[in-house]
Amino acid sequence: MIVEKYSSKLYWHIRRLVILHEDADDALQNTFINAWRSIGEFRNESALYTWLYTIATNEALNLINKRKRNSAVSIDDLGSYFENSHEGSTFFDGDEAEVKLQNAILQLPEKQRVVFNLKYYDDMTYEDMSKVLGTSEGALKASYHHAVKKIEKILTGS
Amino acid sequence: MKSIENIPVKNPFKVPENYFEEVNRRIISATAEEDEKPVRHSIYRRMRPYMLAAAAFTGFVIISYFTARVFITGGKESEANLAETVSVAYLNDIDIYSIEESALDLELSDGLSGIKKSEIVDYLMLEDIKTEDIIEIL
Repeated sequence: MIVEKYSSKLYWHIRRLVILHEDADDALQNTFINAWRSIGEFRNESALYTWLYTIATNEALNLINKRKRNSAVSIDDLGSYFENSHEGSTFFDGDEAEVKLQNAILQLPEKQRVVFNLKYYDDMTYEDMSKVLGTSEGALKASYHHAVKKIEKILTGS
Repeated sequence: MKSIENIPVKNPFKVPENYFEEVNRRIISATAEEDEKPVRHSIYRRMRPYMLAAAAFTGFVIISYFTARVFITGGKESEANLAETVSVAYLNDIDIYSIEESALDLELSDGLSGIKKSEIVDYLMLEDIKTEDIIEIL
């Protein structure tokens, strides 16, 4: 079953972008519902998995942009996310190093965050990432390389 | 400092107990409900042929208008205004293909000679550089 096979992977991908469990839960459901509605448009040019990742990424980015428009405060670190939510830090169990890393990742431009997360956490190949994001492999490699450098610079500076 | 790529990857985020079993059930239930809904074509789908015809007619009128301006009013001042109007409209409708076309004439320094120009444009867009700034760079 497609849902059982991909829900966990897609959830964690979304969660790393939107941070909060409640938001990730909403986006995950919307991902599968939108995929179900669009299944007639799915062409076997790409694997089902990269197609689902594309939908999930768009759902997550839409949610982030909606949150930015509706929020009066800047959301650029974990603390801001937790302060402005009902769940707070209930579903976060990282040590100080993890908090610093997540905060550094949040400083990246959104699309670069997606590239970094897909490579660092999901170990996705650049070929698959190219299909997910519709961007050339060369650009993705360069973007990931610079993302790593930026994060390391932030971590050594803090 | 160690590169982050040499540090074991950890997941600091948690989920409620039995979350994935529960969410899978909800998703399957929601998609089953989608199956039961009657198929209704959206207003957009029904109106699409008429909208395409209207768009083609509007495009024809606009091109005719600008062409007529050039030939009827004439003069360098009119041409300058036309160029500015067209370039503003062009920038507002700019897309990735237009940027890549502009990049074709870009002369690259030796250090970038092995990299495709389309890849440079892709990279700049991932770095969140605005479309108008990329055009200015090119």
